[in-house]
Amino acid sequence: MTRSWMRYAILLAPLPLFLVASYVLPFLMVAKWSVTDPEPGFGQYIRIFTDPTVQAVLIRTLRICVIVTTVSVTLAYAIAYNWVFGPPQRQRLIEYCVLIPFWISVLIRAFGWLILLRNNGIINESLMGVGVIKEPLALVRNELGSIIGMTHFLIPFAVFPLASALRQVDPRVLQAASGLGAGRMRIFWTVTLPMTMPGVLGASIIVFVFALGFFITPAILSGGRSVMVAEFIYLQLFQTVNWGLAAAISVVLLVIVAALGALLHKVARLDKLVG
Amino acid sequence: MSANTNSTDKPGRVSAAIVYLTIVFLLMPLLAIVPVSFTGTRYLSMPKGNWSLRHYEALLTNPIWLDSIKLSLGIAVASAAISTVLAVMFGLGLWYVRNRFSTMLAALVFLPMVMPPVVSAIILYFFETSLIDVAPWIGFDSIGGVILAHVVVATPFALVTFMVSLSQIDKRIDMAARGLGASLWQSIFWIILPNARFGIISAAFFAFILSWEEISVTLFITSFNVVTLPRQMWNGMRDNVDPAIAAISVILISLTVIGILCRDLWRWQRARAVAKVA
Amino acid sequence: MSDRFQRDCFEILTRRAAAGEIDRRSFVKAAALLLSVPVAMRAKIAFAADQLVVANWGGDAIDAFQKAFGEPFTKATGIAVRIDGSGPTEGAIKAQITSGKIIWDVVDADANLGIAFGKEGVLEPLDYDVIDRAKIRKGYDYEFGTPGYFFSYVLAYDSAKFSDEAPKSPADFWNVEKFPGKRTMYKWMNGMLEAALLADGVKPEELYPLDIDRALAKIEALKPHIISFWGSGAESQQLLTEGEAAMGYIWNTRAILLGRDTGDQIKWGYEGGFLNSSTWITPKGNPAGRDNAMRFIASSQDAQSQVTLFDLLGNGPANPQADALIPDDKKALNCVSPEAEAKQVTLSAEWYADNYSAALEKFLALVSK
Repeated sequence: MTRSWMRYAILLAPLPLFLVASYVLPFLMVAKWSVTDPEPGFGQYIRIFTDPTVQAVLIRTLRICVIVTTVSVTLAYAIAYNWVFGPPQRQRLIEYCVLIPFWISVLIRAFGWLILLRNNGIINESLMGVGVIKEPLALVRNELGSIIGMTHFLIPFAVFPLASALRQVDPRVLQAASGLGAGRMRIFWTVTLPMTMPGVLGASIIVFVFALGFFITPAILSGGRSVMVAEFIYLQLFQTVNWGLAAAISVVLLVIVAALGALLHKVARLDKLVG
Repeated sequence: MSANTNSTDKPGRVSAAIVYLTIVFLLMPLLAIVPVSFTGTRYLSMPKGNWSLRHYEALLTNPIWLDSIKLSLGIAVASAAISTVLAVMFGLGLWYVRNRFSTMLAALVFLPMVMPPVVSAIILYFFETSLIDVAPWIGFDSIGGVILAHVVVATPFALVTFMVSLSQIDKRIDMAARGLGASLWQSIFWIILPNARFGIISAAFFAFILSWEEISVTLFITSFNVVTLPRQMWNGMRDNVDPAIAAISVILISLTVIGILCRDLWRWQRARAVAKVA
Repeated sequence: MSDRFQRDCFEILTRRAAAGEIDRRSFVKAAALLLSVPVAMRAKIAFAADQLVVANWGGDAIDAFQKAFGEPFTKATGIAVRIDGSGPTEGAIKAQITSGKIIWDVVDADANLGIAFGKEGVLEPLDYDVIDRAKIRKGYDYEFGTPGYFFSYVLAYDSAKFSDEAPKSPADFWNVEKFPGKRTMYKWMNGMLEAALLADGVKPEELYPLDIDRALAKIEALKPHIISFWGSGAESQQLLTEGEAAMGYIWNTRAILLGRDTGDQIKWGYEGGFLNSSTWITPKGNPAGRDNAMRFIASSQDAQSQVTLFDLLGNGPANPQADALIPDDKKALNCVSPEAEAKQVTLSAEWYADNYSAALEKFLALVSK
């Protein structure tokens, strides 16, 4: 009995030990700033609950992240499904199109979108040239620009866990359902989707968490208008040098994500993800 | 592949339409990036008649770019390898041991993923500067230090990816193997991991890309000794976004496309060879 | 070991170090061995340092600094100069000081940081025995820092859009009826509050201390016409060349490049501009030692070095003697020549030292609304 315990410990121990030393302990030091800088006490946390600027940043961030996650995972699911079950031609096309964006550095992607979306950019010029619109659409240097840029970045990341999950689906289960008289849509909603829920959860977690930390893309594409939490923390750390506030926001962020995780666990049986 | 025309699993027209539109969306930035890489100016702009290869030239002749590409490649491969090993080990551990303790460990392990990169950057900055005297080879502004930081940042993501595929494996396979006399390690290496092949490769690929692209943390834990590709791109950003960045993307994309084409060609030839024999 | 012997060993060590025969690490090791580690290594020893690290804002400035300042210093002292372009923001400097491990020897920082950090006692006071006060413009020889170069925020505009009359002053910048079109302003606030106040009718002599709320209200009024607040030189350039902004307050160095790149379509001038300076500072405990840092700063004062930097980047020289060395056809581009200085308002480092953080927070809150 004790022998097998050791074997499991060999599997479970290295990663947490490594992270405790290199990350968790230093994080505690950073978190300490939230109650010591500029003066001891919970002032920074009170500020978070009362300062409209900070609240605006947090609410805006959560809103954008939820939108981006929903859109990305939905579109990624369609792609993953077609990648696994579609005709060979489409599968190949999807492979190219999912792998190609990875090689576009995040910086050049953001600037690429800027060039496409700005008032005298390709999209607006084409639309106006064809006569669909008269005035250029404000597609960038605002929140919409951030959402477009972030979704574009995240869809390929969501495709992989979803494809992973879809690959494990046994087609005979689907055929059995069809044999029992279910139509295509019904099969999808009642069989396929629940079976691949771990993949959906995994993809959503990855995308949502990624989106929370996004800094460069929104900074460039929103023109400073739509400041998200990552950029806000950066500003507090380096421009206004308000380390206590930066630390406090980080801790609050941690609490929010933990709460979301707990909620997800209740609602969607998160432990299914772990088998 | 069954010739079952019932096609309950085949995607319908709606899903196909969504896919094609999304593909167009994914490839759209290339409309800007490819032309920009050929611009004659020294700053980012669409070439209005002044097409030139100067940025491709700069990439091939300027050692700064080549050095940073090589460095980034090496670091990404090392980070991906270490991250994947750590993620697979821990993922397996979680899969076998499901109790409150392992859940707490899991929460711990996901911490770097939840924190915005800029916070991770500060945390790792303080950690690595404290290592300067004790273990400089993994300290501030060292290659080892960058690999360490990338592993910290990438492993949680690799872990999630791996766990998704692991969760789809029926635990009874493992019980069957053990029942037949396999030890834990035999079951893992011969049964479980091969079944999670796609998940492991995805995790490794994920970790590679995360390290390759990593800029936020890298910016703070390096000074001038270790200049990765993203850092090199970032260096000029305040002054001037160098179109060479666009050229790099175009080259990498071309290599990927060529790589996939070659692989498909190889597969097609093999299929033909098999068909000939059959 | 007896006390006297220890002291004697230590003296030999010190003399050898002073002669440049041993580097600091060896000295500390040996001194520690002698159980007599000096607490403040402030003895006038220029240790044989293997390198000197200068921190600046990266990009073209890395090569320019190396050519203008690095090479002459290396030639004179044999010490290699490494340039770290990661951008020494206030937070980055503070992080280094907090971590206890100073990486940078000399930092190209914002002018107000010399005063702010100086007050906190984390900077080395400048050694004016080594640094020449005669090569510094009047009033810029601060206790903890002195300018490395000067630069300005100038009003640049697309001359194709304004054929009859050109916008020249802050009042023109705010006059959207007479000068229609989108504008761009600086995201990190320097010079922008001053521009708003001047546009609102405040006289230049009465600018400081700045009435922050009044300035912010004025900027808020203009906000619908501001397409973007540029945060990097590249962005400011892009907005004007691509026609997204008709005019903007940008760095003079950028304006010079713009004029050149667009065949003078983008025009600008020093009238209504805002003069600012950088500052060389040295954090306490820097790796190469205080004396080498001071030698570097002194070396950077050389008039020819300053002109080289002006040629490469467009920054105005900190050394007044360098003005004369600038060729005649370029003299008009010098932001800190007496003629140019007279046309501009000089930003007050003292005010920024006390008020920048708080004001910036309000400014950014307004920008991101």
